[in-house]
Amino acid sequence: MPVFDVPLNRLVPEYIKKFEAYIPSRPDPELMRLYKVDHLWRLNNNENPLGPPEGSARIIAQFPPKRASIYPSGDSWYLRVKLAERFNIDPDQIIFGNGANEAIAFVIKAFCQEGDNIITADKTFAVYEWVAEFSGFEARLVPLKEFGFDDEEMLARIDDRTKVLFVCNPNNPTGTYWDEARLRRFLDTIAGRQIVVVDEAYCEFVEAPDYPDAMKLLDEYPNLVTFRTFSKMYGLAGLRIGYLAGSRDVVDVIRRTCIVYSVNGLAQEAALAAIGDEDHVARTRRHVNDEKAYLLRELAGLGLETHAGEGCYVMVRLPMSDTLAYRQLMAKGVMIRTMTGFRFPNWIRVSVGVHEAMEDFVRGLGEIVSDREVVL
Amino acid sequence: MQGEQTDIRLSVETDMKFLPLVLSFTESSSRIFGLEDRDALKLTLAGEEVFSYLCRMTKDPKPITLTMVNGFYYALLRFAFDGIDFDLRAFNLTADVAPDEEGLDEMGLLIASRSVDRMTIFHEAMEGTGFELIKEKTYPAVEPWKGEEAPGKDGLSLGRPDAENLKVFVRSIAGRYDPFIYPQDFRYPGKVVDMVESGEYGVLVATDRKGRIAGGMVWRSSGPSMIECYGPYVFVEDGRRKVGEELVTGLISAIGRSEAVCLMNRYSTEDLPQGYFEELGTIDFVSNGEKRPWHFLFRQLKEDPGCRVYADAGMEEFLNSQYKRHFLAREIVPVRYEGEKQNAHSVFGASFQHSQNLVVLSPLWDGADARENLARHIDALRSEGIANILFRIDLGYGWHARLYPVIEANGFVPAIIIPYRGKADYVFFTLRG
Repeated sequence: MPVFDVPLNRLVPEYIKKFEAYIPSRPDPELMRLYKVDHLWRLNNNENPLGPPEGSARIIAQFPPKRASIYPSGDSWYLRVKLAERFNIDPDQIIFGNGANEAIAFVIKAFCQEGDNIITADKTFAVYEWVAEFSGFEARLVPLKEFGFDDEEMLARIDDRTKVLFVCNPNNPTGTYWDEARLRRFLDTIAGRQIVVVDEAYCEFVEAPDYPDAMKLLDEYPNLVTFRTFSKMYGLAGLRIGYLAGSRDVVDVIRRTCIVYSVNGLAQEAALAAIGDEDHVARTRRHVNDEKAYLLRELAGLGLETHAGEGCYVMVRLPMSDTLAYRQLMAKGVMIRTMTGFRFPNWIRVSVGVHEAMEDFVRGLGEIVSDREVVL
Repeated sequence: MQGEQTDIRLSVETDMKFLPLVLSFTESSSRIFGLEDRDALKLTLAGEEVFSYLCRMTKDPKPITLTMVNGFYYALLRFAFDGIDFDLRAFNLTADVAPDEEGLDEMGLLIASRSVDRMTIFHEAMEGTGFELIKEKTYPAVEPWKGEEAPGKDGLSLGRPDAENLKVFVRSIAGRYDPFIYPQDFRYPGKVVDMVESGEYGVLVATDRKGRIAGGMVWRSSGPSMIECYGPYVFVEDGRRKVGEELVTGLISAIGRSEAVCLMNRYSTEDLPQGYFEELGTIDFVSNGEKRPWHFLFRQLKEDPGCRVYADAGMEEFLNSQYKRHFLAREIVPVRYEGEKQNAHSVFGASFQHSQNLVVLSPLWDGADARENLARHIDALRSEGIANILFRIDLGYGWHARLYPVIEANGFVPAIIIPYRGKADYVFFTLRG
């Protein structure tokens, strides 16, 4: 028996009482046991099927166990120095976090107080909205326009209490992006009055020449902050490492809210080894392009509507509930992302995986769709 | 506006010398929150009985906090306390309290529960322990309405209606649909306005270019993980399918990032588009003496992580077949009664839906008399002319699942599983024959 009752009704703020915790999916072995399958293709989190670059893989394989007892660099010093050199900025313009998700919380905490709001799209990466809401701030959600962020409407929703605008570029899950001219127009209109975050988690997958590099705009726009991650292109999702970059003044403010020592030593070393591995980037792009083409061809053959832009994922519209398709695909050893939570009911997002996984997915989905046709 | 919701609190001790203060607090607050005289007096009477009961249950006075909550369409009186033991038997629909000294304690609770619309016990980490008594306001009944000109189907905009448009929407539903397929609250437009204001219902309407309502959907939370929706109610003549689909996708998008895990549609219309819901099953429902199918439609809003459920051996075949049919990943943990000590008295809750001549029974408290107690409930409901009696258990609770032999012995058979409706899945039973 506990010694004390904890008076949670009095201790917990009202906005936290209203908020429900995000429950991540269970570990793969648990899911395989529950769904009674002997393998599971993970096509739900946009992970890199090729894994990390060779240099990073070597670091991970050779990491001396004794080093685990030593604290890492508290602010990812060597990483910041190397990235600063690469992007021609100052190391103090960069802050690392335990995944880019942590950087979202740093920015919102740094700039928002009671009564403030943030603006983003309704159908985009959910964490901007979640962090704002469980921190007690309003998230103003602007509907996508033709699958893309609607710049005009975002500008129209700004008021005196708007502190941060989040633009996911390219957007997860739709893969649309603002070209450089459009991003510049947006930043020029805002004219430094609010913080603009451009989340470039998938930037390394984009080959289009008009795609903007926010790193190159930091000098011109001191209110611009960009997010990058080692989870996607660099295949280090399991080590949780991402970062933000912005002007010195803005980053100095964000640093006041950031948690030091939150990035572990192995992640820092593996990421350090990944920087500049252009061969890995090229191989991943080739793989993604080939498999996306395969997917789109096969899905068209099944008569399914698809949407694919930039990034390592494809959206598929189903003639059935996406959450039912999830369960049916799980029973076939394939895990995809349902899109009801992205506000795209009856759509799924499938990550590009190894070719065998793509084949299993197409075959499984084909069976589900044709079984359904028989029922109807 | 929700911001206008102001709670009023009174902290006293369980001592009868505070009774006049409790009565005055309850009656005055009830009137402030808009209850009519008759309703305010009923809630005050119930409050008096509960307070007197708690005083009798405590030898030494203990601190107690009374809170009056303005629920817009109701006033809620909450008694919150710690360390007071009470017998729950009086919460049975069939409670029959002996008119002697011993029966007096429970008699008070019985009177209280019959004086209000809802009376519940709570014991939660976030909320503490206590009673909640709810008395609803009285509203004029709906006057069904059907506009002379049908609204257009093109260029619809989706949004939340203001109070007057909401009442038009409610009247239009009553003017076009069988009462069987809309919630009984919708017989009172003013009540719906208050319920939407309090956040209890969500409403999304589609409006045409002339501002006419072309249709709408309604939803409400039903426990922490479930949202129930009703409709789509469609008022256009052509293009009904398109309007229905716009409303359904609009609703799902509106709640897709809420904490709810599942969406149920218990009052679907013929305009519900295909492909958005799964059919969990059908219950034969008696309405005006005739059997009609009641379809249970559902969709998950989140990816199913699978879960553990408790089950008596007698239910396993049914559960396995249902879980296989719906691709639900479940680990079944067997449970059974093995001679352990039991409470003397069981308690069953009874939720009435008068418009459908329906009562759903559920276990509130385990007890050695469960079999006889359940039989008494069925007899009582039949004698009141209730045609549809369901029983439901939550498979997340081992003691619910352990009741299966009691439920089965009283003539119930498992009919429908509703995933994640409670702590785990709900199973609804219907009466055999």
